Amino acid sequence: MRKIVYILEHDFRNFFRYKWWLVGLISMNLADLFIMAIVYNYMLNPEITQQIKSYFNFFAPGLAVTGLFASAFMIGREVNMEKRREVHQYMLSLPMGRIEFAIGRVLSGGMRGMVYMSPLLATCFVFVGFPTLPQLGVIILVLFLLAMGISGLSIAMAVSTSSLDKFVTARGLVYYLLFFCSSVFYPFSLIEQLGQEGKFPMFLVTFARVNPLSNASDIIRAFLLGTPSFSVDMVICVLVFSLIFTLFAAFAYIRLIERG
Amino acid sequence: MPAIIRMENLTKKFGNFVAVDHLNLEVEEGEILGLLGPNGAGKTTTILMLATVIRPTEGTAYVRDYDVRKNPDKVRELLGIAFQEPKMLWVSTPWDIVNWHAKVCGLSTSERKQRVKEVLEALDMWDYRRRNVHALSGGMRKRVELAKVLIQRPKIAIVDEPTAQIDIVGKHKIWRMLKELCEQGTTMILATNELYEADVLSDRVAIMHKGKLLVCDTPKKLKDSIVGGDVVEIQFEADPSPKIVEKLKQFKEVVKVVKSKSSMLRLYLNKVEEVVPKIMGVLMKDGASVSSIRMSEPSLDDVFAHYTGLTLEEAQKEGG
Repeated sequence: MRKIVYILEHDFRNFFRYKWWLVGLISMNLADLFIMAIVYNYMLNPEITQQIKSYFNFFAPGLAVTGLFASAFMIGREVNMEKRREVHQYMLSLPMGRIEFAIGRVLSGGMRGMVYMSPLLATCFVFVGFPTLPQLGVIILVLFLLAMGISGLSIAMAVSTSSLDKFVTARGLVYYLLFFCSSVFYPFSLIEQLGQEGKFPMFLVTFARVNPLSNASDIIRAFLLGTPSFSVDMVICVLVFSLIFTLFAAFAYIRLIERG
Repeated sequence: MPAIIRMENLTKKFGNFVAVDHLNLEVEEGEILGLLGPNGAGKTTTILMLATVIRPTEGTAYVRDYDVRKNPDKVRELLGIAFQEPKMLWVSTPWDIVNWHAKVCGLSTSERKQRVKEVLEALDMWDYRRRNVHALSGGMRKRVELAKVLIQRPKIAIVDEPTAQIDIVGKHKIWRMLKELCEQGTTMILATNELYEADVLSDRVAIMHKGKLLVCDTPKKLKDSIVGGDVVEIQFEADPSPKIVEKLKQFKEVVKVVKSKSSMLRLYLNKVEEVVPKIMGVLMKDGASVSSIRMSEPSLDDVFAHYTGLTLEEAQKEGG
């Protein structure tokens, strides 16, 4: 357990070395909310406005989730950099078990995402509304599970790609697929409607339904805005994503790196 | 001394390339084993397998009877490594790197504070402890890498080219520190392609080439293993008589006598330190007038050339 704490310390120290970069990213996210979301509010089709009431309120939970996604994904960039500079050889030579090491990395990626996301979530609560204490518990749990899954996914990608270019390309594909095939930016009901009308491929509708970013955003919306309605399936969806990628990351970390 | 590390047919292949080829080698407890060879000889790959960073393709190694394949966690508890290329992210500082390493290796807070300061001061890095690694020179980064092992004081230390990029004064200082570490009970594997470093530090030297172990023995025995490897040049005031040449040839240690320049004999022999007094005795008895004598022992480069047919420099070029 102590060794996991050392890994957390190591990764958090590296995270805060980029503090000005983080401040820049948070500012950009807030600009998305306070400029883009407000302007979009006036651009929307009245039919959509009827469904979501205010795009600002609709987008604020999604923004917290995208912030979490981007920051939890940063651990993958560091792991990839370590691999390219062969720092992973040092990390793997340390007196600690591989499982402790892999868990430490996934956990630190997830926790760093939570730290980054907290001002965005707080902004969301201040401007959209506060959840009850049990609802807050569920939101934190779901976001933490999501952060762990994202961290695991990014680590698995980082150790599976040989160069930074490949990692950045793979990261871009995952980013765009998960971001834009989700209900982060637009309501799932609209995606579903477009699918039924044949204007959007049905497999992408299915993907958006199971996308953990959709489910995490919609859980927050369910508690703060009342729509869509909350269901346990949403939590299960995020949990399954988290479990798969946390285990996948641990496995990939141990196996792929040891290949030399 | 019992063997603390045993490598049994240790092999690593990367695709079709055999980096380490059925290596059988033992490291005795308390000794400094020099692992000598050009770049690409397989030294670093061997080290990475011992450190359980990469898995052997065939064979295995035992560190204090723990199999690197089956008990990697136990093996890592015994080892400390200073890598060839400093392994650190460039946004870190020397203090953070060494302090965190000490923490992971189980040093208490008070012990850690004291030792981090001591080691960084000893390596002349204390004034640079808060600088980012990217602002440090190659030699400074190397010192930080070495600080990890010095602060850890592991049961077995593996140092890979510890003084590469370090100035000559620094080299001597580091050699002294490594020797002190061993005097405190650490067994050491010193991977190097610097012959002098291997010679002055190692109790035994294992020479590797193209992934294979060529020979392993004490530096002295390795040098003595070259028949006629020692050279004595005797400059006479006048041409030496055939009788003297004949007498010199009769020493069993003398392999060859060559008249190189006028009034100079070059003798190729073994055990120079034992034979030269005897030669002097013969020359004095025969009343030969000698103006100078120059002796030279074979170097480890000669030993390497003897076993590979290449100088270390040539092998380096060959290995890329």
